[in-house]
Amino acid sequence: MSETNQPETGNLQEFEARIKRGEKVEPGDWMPDTYRQQLIRMISQHAHSEIVGMLPEGAWITRAPTLQRKLVLIAKVQDEAGHGQYLYHAAETLGISRETMLDALLSGQAKYASVFNYPTLSWADIGVIGWLVDGAAIKNQTMLAQCSYGPYSRAMVRISAEEGFHMKQGKEMVIRYAQGTSKQKAQVQDAINRWWWPTLMMFGLPDAVSKHSDTLKRWGIKTRSNDTLRQEFVNEMVADLNTLGLSIPDPDLRYDQEMENWIHGPIDWDEFWRVVNGAGPCNAERLATRRKAHEEGQWVREAVAAYAHKHPPGSHDD
Amino acid sequence: MTDSQWPRFEVFLQDREGHSHRNVGTVHASDSELALQNARDVFVRRPSCQSLWVVPATAIYALTKQEIRENAGLSADDSEQQPKNADLDVKSYLVFQKRNQRRTMSYVEYVGRVDAATPGQAMAGAITAFDDPSSTVWWVCPASVVARSTVDDVESMFTPATEKAYRMPQHYRIIQQMLEAKSRLLGKADIEQDA
Repeated sequence: MSETNQPETGNLQEFEARIKRGEKVEPGDWMPDTYRQQLIRMISQHAHSEIVGMLPEGAWITRAPTLQRKLVLIAKVQDEAGHGQYLYHAAETLGISRETMLDALLSGQAKYASVFNYPTLSWADIGVIGWLVDGAAIKNQTMLAQCSYGPYSRAMVRISAEEGFHMKQGKEMVIRYAQGTSKQKAQVQDAINRWWWPTLMMFGLPDAVSKHSDTLKRWGIKTRSNDTLRQEFVNEMVADLNTLGLSIPDPDLRYDQEMENWIHGPIDWDEFWRVVNGAGPCNAERLATRRKAHEEGQWVREAVAAYAHKHPPGSHDD
Repeated sequence: MTDSQWPRFEVFLQDREGHSHRNVGTVHASDSELALQNARDVFVRRPSCQSLWVVPATAIYALTKQEIRENAGLSADDSEQQPKNADLDVKSYLVFQKRNQRRTMSYVEYVGRVDAATPGQAMAGAITAFDDPSSTVWWVCPASVVARSTVDDVESMFTPATEKAYRMPQHYRIIQQMLEAKSRLLGKADIEQDA
């Protein structure tokens, strides 16, 4: 390979110039090792989050109140499986195997969004997850759709488009709950109270302490900061929840006239780290469920492998 | 902990007749038949598909503009891209290109065919035959390795998705419902003010 003879700095300069021009980096192009490693970290964590993200909602498929709601929820959970697949694919283009990523998830080594380690206690949680959790995810994903790595940005465009359905079906449920009986209103308010703070944590650590932010920005992976996205989300949610007569579980929430922002109170980052590091209410259960699913699929993989062994490519006699 | 993963297949999706097949990602499968089924499950959950192709990832010879520039001469035929027991008969290769560097929604898509004896010759032929200064990625693969969905598959594989309107965001009329909620809220405020 001739390019290994070139000085690394020349490559880096050209790489950064390409990013500056807004070009997409494609598999095969030269990229700094840190760029590759950061993308593998982000994309695989994102993929794991989609896969684990099926579980909190999947728990309610059998208890959906109507057939239509059940179809919608099944479709949403199927999408999440698909999104996990799109993302594992994008990570594979950077040289990591799907098997390595799955091993990391099943062994408990890999990180995924901490929000999925909280339990879903009522049907109203399904609406609130759709609106809040998927709404927060869309903010991040819409930004990542612009990112400099081609396969990741294309996966994100597909995912963002499909998440639009997730967010809207959830919002529609919350609107219906908010206009329902006092018992229904109380149920959806309770769900908001439980999901609000874990949702705000999804945007990541504050800009002042986020260690990856600078490089990610310079190389066009993240183009907007954690705090910027979080603020935009809070502004939109407070306005809409107020319109529906629902409240936000934050006694310090106040409106800043000058900046035209809703300023939220302090986020409990100790809780965030506790949950990320495995001590959340459902971490053990989520991992156990994934492992069980993998083990129970073993016979299917064995059957397929046996068939493939008996019928190598080109041997079909039909 | 896991067992060995199956081979990767690149997936090409044609969303409607007249559009070209474009690369949407990959699936793992034990053979092309299951690769097509997996591709349908992963990439066709919405009413947007007319035809699917799957190609074993190892059968694709890919180069980016940067690699072509830096390698100058195309060296595929003395690398691992050279298939074992290559018969040197001329065969048909499919050519794929990605033509735009900047827009996110530009895919590696099918542009046509060339005849060649080796992947390297096919690539050289593709670059000449489909010369386009805006092209940034070139892929070639033998036409014989492509597995395609057929017209008979459309009804079972793709048509059911068209009936699932609830998968579309616009099905939920959110903007309308929020406007209604807002006018109810404002209406209530008016009544309170009047009182």
